[in-house]
Amino acid sequence: MAKRDHLGEFEQIVLLAVLRLGSGAYGAAIRREIEARTRRSLTVGALYSTLDRLEAKGYVRSWFGDPTPERGGRSKRHFEVRPVGVRTLRASHEALTAMWEGLEPEVTRGA
Amino acid sequence: VARDLPWWIRALLRAAAPATSEEELGDIAEEYTRGASPVWICRQLVSAVGRGSPRRASRRNAGTFLSQTVEDLRLAFRTLRRHPGFAFAAVAPIALGVGLNTAGFSIFDAIALQPVASPGANQLVTVYQEFKGVKKRHVHGARRMFSVPEYRTLRDGTRSLTGLAAFTRYWTVTLGGDSPREVNGVLVSCNYFDVLRIVPSLGPGFTAATCEAADAPPAVVLSHSLWTAAFASDRAIVGQTIPLNGRAVMVAGVAPEGFGGIDVAQVSFFAPLSMQEMLEPDARYYLDPDTSWLALVGRRTDGTTIAQVRAELGLVAEEIDRRQPGRTTRLIVEPARALSMPEARRDIFQLVAVLGAAFGLVLLIACANVANLLLARGAARQKEIAVRLSLGVGRARLIRQLMTESLLIAGAGTIAGSLLARWSFQGLFAMLVSLAPEQVPALRLDAGLNMHVIAFAIAITGVTSLAFGLVPALQASRLDIQALLNRDTAGAGRRATGWLRGSLIGVQAAVCTVLMISAALLLRAAYVTETLDPGFAYRGVAVVSFDTRSLGYERRQAAAFRQTLIDRLRALPGVESIAEAGKTPLSPGDMQTTVRRSDGEPWQEIDFNSVSPEYFSVVRVPIVRGRTFTASEGAGPARTVIVTEATARRFWPGEDAIGRTLRMALGPDRDVALEVVGIVADAQMTRIADTTTPCMYLPAEAESADGRYLLVRSAADHAAVARSVRAIARDLAAGLVVSVAPLEQNLDLWRGLSRVIAGVSGSLSLVALLMAAVGIYGVVAFVVSRRLREMGIRMILGAALGDVRRLILRQTLRPVVLGLIAGMAGAGAASRVLESVLFGVSPLDPVSFAAAPLLLLAIAIAAGLTPTRRLLTIEPAAVLRRE
Repeated sequence: MAKRDHLGEFEQIVLLAVLRLGSGAYGAAIRREIEARTRRSLTVGALYSTLDRLEAKGYVRSWFGDPTPERGGRSKRHFEVRPVGVRTLRASHEALTAMWEGLEPEVTRGA
Repeated sequence: VARDLPWWIRALLRAAAPATSEEELGDIAEEYTRGASPVWICRQLVSAVGRGSPRRASRRNAGTFLSQTVEDLRLAFRTLRRHPGFAFAAVAPIALGVGLNTAGFSIFDAIALQPVASPGANQLVTVYQEFKGVKKRHVHGARRMFSVPEYRTLRDGTRSLTGLAAFTRYWTVTLGGDSPREVNGVLVSCNYFDVLRIVPSLGPGFTAATCEAADAPPAVVLSHSLWTAAFASDRAIVGQTIPLNGRAVMVAGVAPEGFGGIDVAQVSFFAPLSMQEMLEPDARYYLDPDTSWLALVGRRTDGTTIAQVRAELGLVAEEIDRRQPGRTTRLIVEPARALSMPEARRDIFQLVAVLGAAFGLVLLIACANVANLLLARGAARQKEIAVRLSLGVGRARLIRQLMTESLLIAGAGTIAGSLLARWSFQGLFAMLVSLAPEQVPALRLDAGLNMHVIAFAIAITGVTSLAFGLVPALQASRLDIQALLNRDTAGAGRRATGWLRGSLIGVQAAVCTVLMISAALLLRAAYVTETLDPGFAYRGVAVVSFDTRSLGYERRQAAAFRQTLIDRLRALPGVESIAEAGKTPLSPGDMQTTVRRSDGEPWQEIDFNSVSPEYFSVVRVPIVRGRTFTASEGAGPARTVIVTEATARRFWPGEDAIGRTLRMALGPDRDVALEVVGIVADAQMTRIADTTTPCMYLPAEAESADGRYLLVRSAADHAAVARSVRAIARDLAAGLVVSVAPLEQNLDLWRGLSRVIAGVSGSLSLVALLMAAVGIYGVVAFVVSRRLREMGIRMILGAALGDVRRLILRQTLRPVVLGLIAGMAGAGAASRVLESVLFGVSPLDPVSFAAAPLLLLAIAIAAGLTPTRRLLTIEPAAVLRRE
């Protein structure tokens, strides 16, 4: 596997959120999902710059839905993780799991 | 529920981060619809700006306008923090200059631009009129005011105003009681408080019963401060009567605390217009259609514009014109301001123009100082700038960066200056009041930070940063990289900056010269007013003033009272002579009428005074020819006149004026012939330093109820005279307020005025001189440090230290001298504006025109010589070794 397939922590979080939401994955929902699960706040701009980067790398694809009134007549941008994204995510997960092996009790106790 | 983002949030987002996409906006709008907190929205805004952060901007080699600015600001801030000495030297003069200007502006703003003290003041308008084709018009206040019938027509005819109220100029009446005192008030229409939405803090105020009804008893509303001071805040005062000018007047209410009318000069009571005739028994004009005495203030209805009010009242005014054939009226409708009278406003604006120019010049000097500093720094920063240029930063971008630094300096200066202004304002104002003559009435001035002042400060920041920053920035960025690469740092671009520095010093010197010459002239004028001989004897004369109208006296009673008083006073030990006069020498205000020699000649304005026969001996103005008045000439209307020598020369040049006739206008088509019976020596009786304006004396009419002054010449000291006069007056009429003042006090008025003007201009020019000196010092110090090597070589080659110093001084002082000459020319033009307050000092006074530039030159030489002391320490060999 090439080096460029490495994912940053926040990229992994974003990809996981898109996967969790499935067909309901669009900007605001993704942001709320991340905020609810990680209990950290996230600005709209920060999320989109990561999503744009992930799309440029080919890990996600996006499309626009119909305009809705509660958005001031603007469209939702929906996201979906592409197979290559899922593979990279899995690789990241494996790398992390390998590194974590045997350390979990120690680190958790220390925390 | 669909709610789009407010427009300003969208605008901010677009400005801060133009890259913001529609879906981002959509997400933010969605959260907004769900009720996101303002804090959350703000965070989105801030993060949007952050996305154009410096790091990313440099990576992409672009960035938004805003992010670049943030970057520039950060850079400028770091630069200034790293050079605290430079920062202080640059910020301090700007702070001083801006502080002065902001303080000056906030005083001006408080006087002339602030809305009046009334809730919803921005709905208020003032109405004045200009009319033509009117033959007869009496004026009590200003010609642009209205009569009661005119006021009523406008009030009843308007639909665009919810109410139109009238008020008069300010009156002085006597409040009787155990210790009678004079208080100031205004007469107002019954709806005055309603229109202004001022609710009395006590009592009903003016109601139908106390004001409008034909048989309404005389009533007043007291100001809160008078209620506190004179009635010990007695809550039972409402409904009781108090003695005003000897008449019982009912108290209808007490105005809320802090309200003293809507003019700058504050008053102590408000009375209905109908009380005019009661307060001035000998002048009845309450319902007279041809008397100007009312100023009008109205409140616009919601949604009506000033233009609509103007149009509508204009139609109503045509009705007034129809009643008086030949008359055309034009109304002046303006938003109500503290200084509402057009005449007063014009005077203030003229004053402000002169003062503003002087303050602006000080700021200009400050800017020249900082510009010079920046030029010097630009030279010292050549390396840094060269590096940036060679790294591919564009020149425009570089200029913007340097300008941002200037803006930061100006901003810091403005903030420091505004704080300075705010703290020093009270002190400054107190100083002005203490210098000012005592007769100035209480003023309402709350000059603080408000939107006007803030807008002014922001504007001034922008202008100053451009003024001092643009040229140095252009200069610094026009760098010859080739020359720098050749490491000839001393030579690169020096000729051009040297020229610039020179002209900046020249400008400073010129401006400073203008200010210093003006100050010198004004100081000389102040000295003249302190020491002058007005041509009449003002020592040992007491001015006794009283107003028998306050007792309700008719003409005969008034005359009898005056005669008894004079007789009693004459019997006092030490009293030599007593005279009566309608106006005392050099007292404020003009008494003027028009005269001509014969029919067919144009009318000429002339100052006049009505005096008793003893007047000239009391003030010791010699009668050059002819005689003074006789006692019988005061018995009826005036038939004789005494003129000054200058007047005689003006009207009958080369002839004897005695026995000639002068025709004085009495009305539109009535005049009276006056025979000249005497000629008196010229003296400064009306205005300081003016003996040539035509002036004449009429015999004081014996039977008159008018206020009149007694001039008492006595050998006893003033305090003793004053005590006796008061005792006698109390004995004759207990309720009469009598004031006794030395005649010299009239001079104090002029002296006070002169002191204030000289004080202000003196301090301004001192600040200017200080800054110019610092500027010259800075430039010479810079030149010396840059040319140490050259000087070292000169000295090795045999130049004496003195020669080298002279060389440097000659080169730096050349622009100073040029500036001096330009400044003297400028001062010659500027001093004409000051002529009216120079009191006889010529606007081209040679002493001032020589002394001020010489002083400046001396200071400039001293400031320039000091840094050359560094040359003393030169060790030529060491200098040469330096690269």
